[in-house]
Amino acid sequence: MAEEEANAPTQWIPADAVLAVELFQPKALLAPFGDGKAAAAFAALPGAGKRKARPGFEKFMGVVKYLESELGTDWPTALTKMTGGGLAFALRPQQQMVLIADAEDERMLTQLHEFLWKAASANKKSGSESSQTSSQQVDGVTAWSLGPKEAHTIIGKRLVLSSGFSELQTALAFRSKSGGSSLAATPAYQAAKRAVGPDAAGMIFVNMAVLKQAPGIAKALQPKESNPLVALLFAGIAESVGASNWLAIGLRVQEKEDCLALQVVSDGAKLDPKGPAAFALPAKREEGALPNLSVPRQIAALSMYRDLRRFYGAKDQLFPERTSGLIFFENMMGIFFSGRDMTDDVFAQARPEIRFIVANQQYDPAVGTPSPQIPAFALVLQMRNPAQFREVMEEAWQKSIGLASFTRGQKAEPGFVIDRPVHWTTKYSVARFSTTGVKDRSKLDTRFNFSPSLAMPGNNLILSSTEQLACDLIDAAGREAKQPLAPLAQTHSLLEANGSRVAAALLANRENMVRQNMLKSGGTGESDSTGIDALIAFTEFVEQLRLTFSAESGLNQAKLELKFKWPGQKVAETR
Amino acid sequence: MPTLTQQQFDPVSAWARYEPDARRPWNFALAGHLYRRAAFGATWDQLQRAFRDGPQRTVDGLLRPSADVAAFNRQYDELETPANDENSSNDLRAWWLQRMIRTPHPLLEKMTLFWHGHFGVNAAKVNSARATQQHLQLLRKHALGNFREMLAGIVRDAAMFLSLDAKANRRALPNEDLARWLMETFTLGPGRFSERDVRETARAFSGWFVLQNQIRFIERERDSETKRILGQEGRFTSDDVARILAEQPATSQTIIRKVYRWLISETAEPDDRLLAPLAESFARKQDVLQLVETMLRSNLFFSAAAYRQRMKSPVEFSLGIVKGLEEAVSTPPLAEALARLGQNLLHPPTARGWLGGQNWINHATLAGRHNLAAALLKSDGVFGGKLNPAAVAGKHDSGARFFLDLFLQGDAEPSSASDAGADARRSAYAAITLPEFQLA
Repeated sequence: MAEEEANAPTQWIPADAVLAVELFQPKALLAPFGDGKAAAAFAALPGAGKRKARPGFEKFMGVVKYLESELGTDWPTALTKMTGGGLAFALRPQQQMVLIADAEDERMLTQLHEFLWKAASANKKSGSESSQTSSQQVDGVTAWSLGPKEAHTIIGKRLVLSSGFSELQTALAFRSKSGGSSLAATPAYQAAKRAVGPDAAGMIFVNMAVLKQAPGIAKALQPKESNPLVALLFAGIAESVGASNWLAIGLRVQEKEDCLALQVVSDGAKLDPKGPAAFALPAKREEGALPNLSVPRQIAALSMYRDLRRFYGAKDQLFPERTSGLIFFENMMGIFFSGRDMTDDVFAQARPEIRFIVANQQYDPAVGTPSPQIPAFALVLQMRNPAQFREVMEEAWQKSIGLASFTRGQKAEPGFVIDRPVHWTTKYSVARFSTTGVKDRSKLDTRFNFSPSLAMPGNNLILSSTEQLACDLIDAAGREAKQPLAPLAQTHSLLEANGSRVAAALLANRENMVRQNMLKSGGTGESDSTGIDALIAFTEFVEQLRLTFSAESGLNQAKLELKFKWPGQKVAETR
Repeated sequence: MPTLTQQQFDPVSAWARYEPDARRPWNFALAGHLYRRAAFGATWDQLQRAFRDGPQRTVDGLLRPSADVAAFNRQYDELETPANDENSSNDLRAWWLQRMIRTPHPLLEKMTLFWHGHFGVNAAKVNSARATQQHLQLLRKHALGNFREMLAGIVRDAAMFLSLDAKANRRALPNEDLARWLMETFTLGPGRFSERDVRETARAFSGWFVLQNQIRFIERERDSETKRILGQEGRFTSDDVARILAEQPATSQTIIRKVYRWLISETAEPDDRLLAPLAESFARKQDVLQLVETMLRSNLFFSAAAYRQRMKSPVEFSLGIVKGLEEAVSTPPLAEALARLGQNLLHPPTARGWLGGQNWINHATLAGRHNLAAALLKSDGVFGGKLNPAAVAGKHDSGARFFLDLFLQGDAEPSSASDAGADARRSAYAAITLPEFQLA
């Protein structure tokens, strides 16, 4: 292990690298290219046929085929053999770069070099202006250059490639320094490597300390969010990145499950428990965001730990320039909540566990299908004192629905009709638009995407954009009450999404999106639809996405897991 | 270049067909002139073809294009239809600009724009995208059709009623605004009717209401008594009003003068004698297409009396650039930019439409036009860098004067626009910011 560390490619990368990519297990990352899954995925993308038909593509494929015949194997295998021992790439200040690859097959590396050298030399002989091949001794070894911004050498199984001979010299000098001031020897890189763990297949390292020296970047990283909603959603994340010295992204591949996990770790300071942004800090060690609720046709779910009372109480410190706007908001809310204090009488009634759910809608054929189709969404809060707060909330909700109806009436638009039905044993409130007199039910107005509902089963407070989702959430809350799940300790945000359902939502609105794109791009529709179809196809590849933000062991961590569904692979519909 | 002025024409020769001869040859400049007036500018290929085809054949193509215009308009009618009855007509405005750019029948859109300026419906007052769309479709349907039918549609158009604050026309309190605008601005012109005519016309409109953004007739609110309008007496309804107004010679004169200003010249007021042949014909048939055709084919149209005798509106200015450079651009930001230059489509300042002429240009709007030209030509930004002068110049294997020829057809010399050897974007910008390019 120690020997491996000592020979690691990053031992030859200078410590001033701004960004470094190290692949510890290149084979695992290249596997989808070897087994044809990635090729099948790209081929399945809309417009792939057109791309293949381009003359440039044909020329490129011709070169690849020739290379494959020269190397005696297909390109994914060749790439695996040439990088199988590890790979590191770094960007340094002044646009310098260095790439170090440890091959499994030294012969193949030499073959590739000879092929490229011959090709470049032939160009030079034919008088091509772009051909500037040269070779020279660098730090005791022969190095070659195929062009003005490239130099490389091969030392045993190692390929060292850089943006010039002098950069190559810098890399090769590390041979005699054994670590010295290399990137691998820096405490930041070592801490990052420890943080991503030994099972990571690769790591992307961002040297924030160096990056922040660049004018403009430090300013961009300063927390300056003035939008309360954005601040509430991204609490602590921007602050953490701004305060960090390094940021590392660990790559993990679970080949059997076609799962790629990205784990983002930074050493940015944890939130100050006494600071204004501490509303996102789980108060106790075992506290955190709740697992997401599960409903049919669920597209995405977000679970957060946010103390709303603390958040709103700190508003003057968080958004001093928004005071007048917030006073207006408070006055408006005062009407809905009959003059109650927003901080102590309203927000304090909600526990910090907040969940948000988005799901596709199943439209009632008797009602019709609106266009565009807007997915249903709902907010689920936990009430601290349901007996006391239920009626307060009901009154506020009914007032807001009444106000919306009144405002619509002023514009000669139909308003809501409020109903109080029962789902199982839960009485809930719903406001619906009447379809009486609507002639064309195949393309209803957008308003028919909405039937705002309020349900309060147990201590849950469900505010949903549709009655259907409200009922599904009453069911989900019932299941949760029977089998409560422990909170995700110290996790303040959890986002989960289902690619197939996102794709279904996009597909349902494809026509509208193409239309909007046509307007924005001035296109004829064909090019606009290709882009949207590609987006839908790409979204379908992502079977599951799971993103968590937590603060563990003094480090802020973001964990992104992407599970792919390759073309032709069927995924069982969960519900 | 045209050499005859208005004063040199008698009515017969003025409206006779232009036949090129040695004294008044058909040339690139006149082809450009025709496309500026009867369309929104031309591509290089269109100019070349027009030069080859001659004036009358080119006018044929502009009046009656061979393309399936109905199918194109059906597609755009569908595309522009708002999903809901939104209050904002911003998307509709942007779709209209797209239609102007892509239409196979630019003259139809040009005349739709003319009628939009004539009837001056303001979408902000209509407050209903669907009603505004229906109004626009009404204008397009009759833009080159029969004026009497158009007027009959206007007096039952929800958007018109809403725009003129006439959504309720009660028997007990007739709304005189609609009647007054109709007579003074849309048909007869000022001083050609009495206050009594206004009151009686308002009574004829009683019973018409706009409810839920749709026009509806309520019989109980109708004033069924006799009315006396412009010397005629009867139990007139709004349909009768439209008929009576359309029949008036003064209406024909109003329309012809406005179309003259739109297609021929806004610098010199034509005398009645010059317009008499047109007025006589229009009063008989109310045929807009025939009127437009006569004007576009005429000696007067291809003379110095018409050449560059109009100031381009912001729409004409910007679309002239877009058409010349053979691409479509993002129209929501274009609509915003045009609004800043004084032509907020679907939002004319008053029911009289835009004043036009020299009112389009002042220090601020001239600078604004230059900024818009620069933004349209930029390789990035809100218009997405879609216009590529270098590609267009390269495609046509042109010489150093290409952009001067494309945009100004020889009306400016190379010295006034740094053309030769300059970067294509800079050359194009130099050409379209010349004073000559501001003239239609």
